[in-house]
Amino acid sequence: MPTSREPGDLLQGTLRILILKSLLLGRAHGYAISRWIEDTTGDVLRIEEGSLYPALRRLQDRGLVTSEWGVSENNRRARYYTITRAGRAVLRAEASIWLEYSRAVARVLRAEPSLA
Amino acid sequence: MSDRTPRRLRYFGIVRPDVPADVDDELSFHIQMRIDRNLALGLTPDEARRDAVERFGDVAVVRSALVRHDQRQHAGERRAEWVADVVQDLRFGWRALRRAPAFTIAAALTLALGIGANTAIFSVLNAVVLQPLPYAHPDRLVTLGQGSSGEYLALRDRLRTVTDLAEWVPTTDPVDDGRDALRLTGVAVTPNLMPLLGVAPMLGRGFAPSEGTPGGDHVVVLSFATWRSQFGGARDVVGRKVTLEGLPYSVIGVMPPSFRYPRADVQYWMPYVIDPKNIGLMWGVGGKEFVGRLAPNATLDQARREVHTVWPSLRTLNPVWDPGAGYRRDATATPLKSDVVGASGPLLWMLFGATLLVLLIACVNVANLLLARATARERDLTVRAALGGGRGRLMRQLMTEGVLLAMIGAAAGAAIAVLTVRAVVAAVPTGLPRANEISVSGVVLAFALVTSMGTGIVFSVVPALRATSAAARASGSMLGRRGWGSRSHTRVSGWLVGGEIALAVMLVVGSLLLVRSFAALRSIEPGFDPTHVIAARISAPEATYAPGTERLATFYAEVLDRARAMPGVSDAALVDQLSLAAPLQGLAIRVHGQYEDVTRQLPFIDHVQTVSPEYFATMGIPLVRGRAFTDDDRAGQPPVAIVSQSVARKFWPSGDAVGQRIGYPYESPWFTVVGIVPDTKQDSLRDTSNVTIYMPWSQRTQKVGSELWLVARATGDPRAAGAQIRRIVHDIDRGVPVSDVRTMDDVVSGSVVGARLTAALVTAFALVALALGAVGIFGVMSYVVSERRHEMGLRIALGASAGAVVNLIVGRALRLAAVGTVAGLACAFIAMRPLQRWLYGVSPMDPVTYAGVSIVFAVVALVASYVPARRAARANPASAMRDAAPGAGA
Repeated sequence: MPTSREPGDLLQGTLRILILKSLLLGRAHGYAISRWIEDTTGDVLRIEEGSLYPALRRLQDRGLVTSEWGVSENNRRARYYTITRAGRAVLRAEASIWLEYSRAVARVLRAEPSLA
Repeated sequence: MSDRTPRRLRYFGIVRPDVPADVDDELSFHIQMRIDRNLALGLTPDEARRDAVERFGDVAVVRSALVRHDQRQHAGERRAEWVADVVQDLRFGWRALRRAPAFTIAAALTLALGIGANTAIFSVLNAVVLQPLPYAHPDRLVTLGQGSSGEYLALRDRLRTVTDLAEWVPTTDPVDDGRDALRLTGVAVTPNLMPLLGVAPMLGRGFAPSEGTPGGDHVVVLSFATWRSQFGGARDVVGRKVTLEGLPYSVIGVMPPSFRYPRADVQYWMPYVIDPKNIGLMWGVGGKEFVGRLAPNATLDQARREVHTVWPSLRTLNPVWDPGAGYRRDATATPLKSDVVGASGPLLWMLFGATLLVLLIACVNVANLLLARATARERDLTVRAALGGGRGRLMRQLMTEGVLLAMIGAAAGAAIAVLTVRAVVAAVPTGLPRANEISVSGVVLAFALVTSMGTGIVFSVVPALRATSAAARASGSMLGRRGWGSRSHTRVSGWLVGGEIALAVMLVVGSLLLVRSFAALRSIEPGFDPTHVIAARISAPEATYAPGTERLATFYAEVLDRARAMPGVSDAALVDQLSLAAPLQGLAIRVHGQYEDVTRQLPFIDHVQTVSPEYFATMGIPLVRGRAFTDDDRAGQPPVAIVSQSVARKFWPSGDAVGQRIGYPYESPWFTVVGIVPDTKQDSLRDTSNVTIYMPWSQRTQKVGSELWLVARATGDPRAAGAQIRRIVHDIDRGVPVSDVRTMDDVVSGSVVGARLTAALVTAFALVALALGAVGIFGVMSYVVSERRHEMGLRIALGASAGAVVNLIVGRALRLAAVGTVAGLACAFIAMRPLQRWLYGVSPMDPVTYAGVSIVFAVVALVASYVPARRAARANPASAMRDAAPGAGA
């Protein structure tokens, strides 16, 4: 969907969490991952879709995801990614840090004088 | 391409992932999906595409990053897979070999013999022939042969292609190191020899130029071995005194262990003193070896040409006599290495060729074993092929097994080589040049490793190819036990065994020729009776016992008296040069009435022996005519000589030699010939020149030093007399060393030790080849029998006698052997020609040998096939036919 908003600034680590989280539902190709992020964040966290693939390679190198070739829902050859046990563990650890951090930031922002 | 492409396919490069195409696939899928969605949302195709690309970012940058990443990753994976596969193959191969211990041991032992023999001879070849000499730029060193010091100085000054020239002459001197009287082997060298060779002493210093001139100090440089054995390796040896020839010498240095010039047994070096004032010594005494270094830009050819022209031009320089028009016409320069290696080079190459044949035979045998084994495992392989084991993978598996087998063989072979090399070196104490440099070095082990790897790969490829193609063919149908052509296996095996026999025939022919020629050599009568005779070298120091003095004469008279008085000794005598121990020195002579002009070329007598009167009786040399020497033939009496029959025939073919006169090659009193003795062998049993002149020791002082051999004839074991000789000499003067105490029988057999060693080595190789050939015949016949058991059973059931079945099998083996033997004899007929130089009294085409070898191989084929044939004849018709029924084993 075309949009005029500036794309959100995403840290490397954030992209990793987003990808791993998207794969919890099951194996997916790169386009499906970018669509899931787009839909789930309501298009708030816009990522440059091309950066998704180097990130996936890095995750694969670290053994957090695996890949295999398969056939897509519309019968095309597509590369599917699957999260590994190690990937889940990393996601759990990073998610708890992230949540704690965002809660702390939220508390700060709600403190008097509240901005929210 | 899928990530799940079977690993082995990717390993063999049949299917390689196309990384850029895969990356393009993945990225274009993404963009196409986005375009599809945009279209579904109602955008125009243009907008849809633009939006998709915009969302994606820089496609080219992402693509190249991914391609780079994926290519790196695949390369790493391939390496890891390869290593994993090799490890798996090795583990599997090891298990397979352990499951068949008889096969493994037979094959490994065969290879070990082949590789061991080959590696052992290669060690010797490598050290003696292939390795450069241990001197600086050894390829620039040349020898010019022998000459006198006068010629040496003239050549050194004139030659342009040779920068530096040294001369040396062996000296064997009685040495007294303060404890024992010893006889050491030394070399007198011009002071420039060691710098010329580029070797410096490890302790002390070398010779100064002044030490090679008259009046220089008496100095000596020790060999490493002498320094260790005689001086206990003392660091302060430099400056110590030793007594050489009764004179004190100072030790000034010790050479490093690798320096053994000119021979391995050199114990010390002393300066050779050239005195230009002594004209007679300068120009009259030859025998000095010249060694030089080529000038920086000179070639060997240039040096040869220059020496060839310069040396004959020195003829006019000789102030003593005119050496004649033919003087030094053959002068040339020889590379030092070929001079050092000498005749050993071709001999070692011949032995190496023999071991290569052994190795080839071993390889053929192992190939045959592998082939038989592949046949036996055919069903196993068929099943694996059917289960998806690719052909390449199976081949690699079989080859790994072959290499593994070869490695085991190589390890055992290297052990054999180490032991053999030690035995060979021990067996040739002095005969082989550079023997001290022989060792099983890294080069040699690398050679063994490469040989065995090559063997393992080459000789497992053929069986592997056959087995896997058969497996591939059969995998669909899962044929039963008889699967792929067992007949074709038999045919291939037959060819292999035939070839093996041909190779073995060549080796056996060669060994028989050498053995026969050794026997011929041993049957040569030396002309004297060596049994019960003992010889000992007595080296009276010249400082105390100068040649020609009364003191020396008294000393040896005393030795002789006491030796003759020894119990169990019937006769004793003295001689200056012992027959068959080392080449004898000769002498040019004048012959009265024929060759009297000393300015013309005089006839040369190859052997001149100076003896005491009892020499002929002691050595058992009968007198043909005239009389032997007596005690009255002494100094001051008319000079007399005894000649061998060849000398008598040569100069006085019609008349009587007794009463004729001969003389030294300068104006001097004539010697009268008083007796004639039969020819004797002097330098070696192969001597063709039998001319010898004997002179009484008490009348001859020229060219005879103070060192003599004592020969004694014992009534019993001559060895007992040997110990007594040492004692009596020691009693007379403990400063006189006694050395080389040997029976004449040992001296005679020692003179043919080289021929014996060659014959023994080649015979050992031939026996191995024969044994391997027998194993080959046995193997292929056993296989034939087991393959045709049902046919045999059928024949027996139809009334064939056991004898007929035996005949059938044995006859087939004989045919096989006959084909191999004929091929081998034909090859031998051509290949044995170069053997000529080591043969004596037998032709390389000796018919007796060839016939004998044919018989030997017929017998071997008979014996090797008899056991399988008996087994076939005992076949129970019923069970043989049932077992062999088609499909019964499936």
